[in-house]
Amino acid sequence: MNAVTLPLTAPNRASGESLWHKAARKFGRDRLGMLALGVVLAYFLVALGAWLGWWAGGWADLTGTKWEPVSSAHWFGTNIIGQDIFDRAVFSTATAFEVGLSVALAATFIGAVFGAFAGFFVGSWIDEFLLWCMGVLDAIPFYLFVAAVAYALTDNPWAMQVAMIATFWVGTGRLIRGEVIKLRGMEYVEAAHSIGVSELAIIFRHILPNTGHILLVQASITFVSAIKAEVILSFLGLGIKDGMSWGLMIDESTKEVLAGFYNNFLAASLLMFGLVMAFNAVADALQDALDPRKVG
Amino acid sequence: MKIVGKKFPRKAISVLFVGLNRLISAFLAIFLVCSLAGCGPPSGSGAASPALKTFHFAMDQAPTTLDPVQGANIYANFVIVNAYDTLYSYQYLARPYLLKPNLAVDFPTVSADGLIYTFRLKKGVRFIDDPCFPGGRGREVVAEDFIYSIKRQFDPENQPQGAWLWQGRITGLDEWKAAGSDYAQPVSGLRAIDEHTLEIRLTRPYPQLTATLAQGYSALVPREAVEKYGKGLGVRPVGSGPFRLVSYDTARVVMERNPNYRQEPVDLAAEGYNPATQKFSGVEAIQGRSPPFIDRLEFNFINESSASWSSFTKGDEVQLTVLPIEQIDRVLASKRPVTLRPEYAAKYHVYGGLEAGFVFTAFNMDYPEFGYNPDPERERRNQALRCAMLKGYDWEARNHSWYFGLGEYFPGIIVPASPEFDPALSRASVTRDVAGARKLLKDNGWTPDNLPTIVYGTTAGTTERLFFEQFRAWMRDIGFPRAKVVQKTYANFGDISRAWKRSQLPLVAKGWGLDYPDAENTLQLFYGPNASPGSNDANWKNPEYDRLYEESSVLQPSPERTALYHRMNQIVLDDCVAITGISRTRIYLWHKNVIAVPDREILGGFWLKYVDLKPEPANIPALVKGG
Repeated sequence: MNAVTLPLTAPNRASGESLWHKAARKFGRDRLGMLALGVVLAYFLVALGAWLGWWAGGWADLTGTKWEPVSSAHWFGTNIIGQDIFDRAVFSTATAFEVGLSVALAATFIGAVFGAFAGFFVGSWIDEFLLWCMGVLDAIPFYLFVAAVAYALTDNPWAMQVAMIATFWVGTGRLIRGEVIKLRGMEYVEAAHSIGVSELAIIFRHILPNTGHILLVQASITFVSAIKAEVILSFLGLGIKDGMSWGLMIDESTKEVLAGFYNNFLAASLLMFGLVMAFNAVADALQDALDPRKVG
Repeated sequence: MKIVGKKFPRKAISVLFVGLNRLISAFLAIFLVCSLAGCGPPSGSGAASPALKTFHFAMDQAPTTLDPVQGANIYANFVIVNAYDTLYSYQYLARPYLLKPNLAVDFPTVSADGLIYTFRLKKGVRFIDDPCFPGGRGREVVAEDFIYSIKRQFDPENQPQGAWLWQGRITGLDEWKAAGSDYAQPVSGLRAIDEHTLEIRLTRPYPQLTATLAQGYSALVPREAVEKYGKGLGVRPVGSGPFRLVSYDTARVVMERNPNYRQEPVDLAAEGYNPATQKFSGVEAIQGRSPPFIDRLEFNFINESSASWSSFTKGDEVQLTVLPIEQIDRVLASKRPVTLRPEYAAKYHVYGGLEAGFVFTAFNMDYPEFGYNPDPERERRNQALRCAMLKGYDWEARNHSWYFGLGEYFPGIIVPASPEFDPALSRASVTRDVAGARKLLKDNGWTPDNLPTIVYGTTAGTTERLFFEQFRAWMRDIGFPRAKVVQKTYANFGDISRAWKRSQLPLVAKGWGLDYPDAENTLQLFYGPNASPGSNDANWKNPEYDRLYEESSVLQPSPERTALYHRMNQIVLDDCVAITGISRTRIYLWHKNVIAVPDREILGGFWLKYVDLKPEPANIPALVKGG
């Protein structure tokens, strides 16, 4: 007789604690993870303030003269046309979250749905087709793909995000497919089948919720990847069209560094470094906390 | 001899380097012994061909075609005048610029009424060898080639861009076009008296005619090449110039010496040589020798100035570049006059001068939002809107930000390099007046809600994006909402140039280099009949201006003509048809082994055939000694 494996969302009867409660407890004990989460939240508050117009609204204004040094009026100095680098760096935080969140949510959602379908119907034409799509997308060099999408969606401000979503879902999709293949053989799924629950309901109500821990970790990893990709793409001229981002600031700095002016470069690089490091630490801590194999 | 090769990091591969050096030395020793012992190839077969003299230089954009019929920008012209011949060119070293015969034997004889020009062409000049000719051997260049080439500019199938130079000027040419551009039909104003004599009949005097024949547009193209290659001629020039094309892509153009180029020893005096200012360049070394002096010419198209600078300072890549503005404080010891800091002066030559051209932003009057409008009242308000935008523009800041204060901004469209420049003209149009701009908008009923959206087109790039952001900030100062000033980017200069020519951009922010030293060349930019796809990208049509232009265009240089020019300049200012303008100071640096006086102003690419390279003996002993 097969051993019965319980769904992850069900309470662990042995300890009387659900996976999520256990994960939260483990995460709370991870001091580095908590510190990183605090940093991410601080960044988020900065971004929130920029979205709500509390600060950094003057990122596009000419508030000084060329290459002013650090001062009380311009905390990070000014760029070549006299724009305040601090305002631009802060506004770029909002851009990073916009891109990171939109790409992470969309790519994770698509990856979850496609992965679940592929896994649930493993071996069928649906699985074959989705695997073929994943293989094709994996085979196209990312930056060439983004360039092609950007060209196809000329002047569309979402071209970069579309390209990222179109490629970033694949990793999540493969992981979810594997997890769903495992879950579909469990007794609670078979039980659902036997009482006549529709396949869609089984996928969305009984299987996908049990992949939440994977999705959460994948979303955090995708968020970081999206921020880094945005910076690189903006630097290459394929990213943000109308707005400001750390990538654009680093792009601007390529000329300034040669002239001995480093403010743009340092501001953008350090802020990006801080957020990416913090989010990576959060993702690691989440992974540790949600991993049922780890004792905690 | 120049050894071509890449430098490797010494520390990283020092062991490998020692071994490699020994191997090379051994090879050289064997080679030397074999050569002395006569074990090489048979004599006369060119046992070891000497290293090619290659001149690499950087330009900031790539041409989109090399067909003279569409050679609308300086990047295309640089290549075209080296692949093809024009009847005239400019003296290499004379400043101010002076015309000289090129394919023509001498200057034309002109009838007393100024309507008939007779040109004599040099005999024995041949096109390069090419499969388009019978037997693959280039045939002689004749007067009919010139006629054919000018006709091509009036054949709409070629999408010509140079017709504005001769439109309405040459008898029968416009009629020939109207009748269907049939090449079998003659043009009454273009006649080959014999193979080497050409006659041009004009509808009215055209004092700039000879200067137009130094333009790439007038380059002589063989009919055989057009018939064989069609549009392919844009990537496969077949001319009689000093160089022939080897390869062409968006990264570089490589040309090699035309081995059959005519022998014409350089006479420095006739080229306008001034020892006091040009001796440093070493050009005396080319006296009495026939150009071209280099074997290969490599144009490297590097959009980013920092990349161009890196390549230049690396030492073994591009040998000539324009000094990027961000390097000015670091490289220059003084700006007026331009001198280098000692560490750079030891390695490079420098030359700086105000460009013979300007940068400006024209309003495309085809756009009813701020140009011509069926409603006369709206059109009046549109003029006020344009004038307000002029007042909001900050030339001082632009000069400071982008040209380190080295540029010279001025009112109107007659540039400082033109003999007709008026230094006494009011500078009100280039003096920022935000309060005045806001008042003008308010008085004419403009509010943030009803202001039109302004689309600012640029090529893709950091500098261009910052140009746009600066412009948008200035417009915000006078009342434009941020969302109403938007950027539209184009992949390269060719793309945006096409958009201008097709009247697809409401704002035309561009530079113009003088084709010849005469203000007529910038005034024609606003002459009504030159509207898109001609050079009048503003598509502005002002009857009074056009009348004055036509009146002045038949006059020889004179105070009377200058007065007409000044009146036209004032009309442009009064109608606020362009935000104008600034002439930049361009600073060239080149390696000391290069013998040249570089230029990209009126002289264009003509100087490249005079470039020579000093030998670099230091490279060989270094290799031989190694190990």
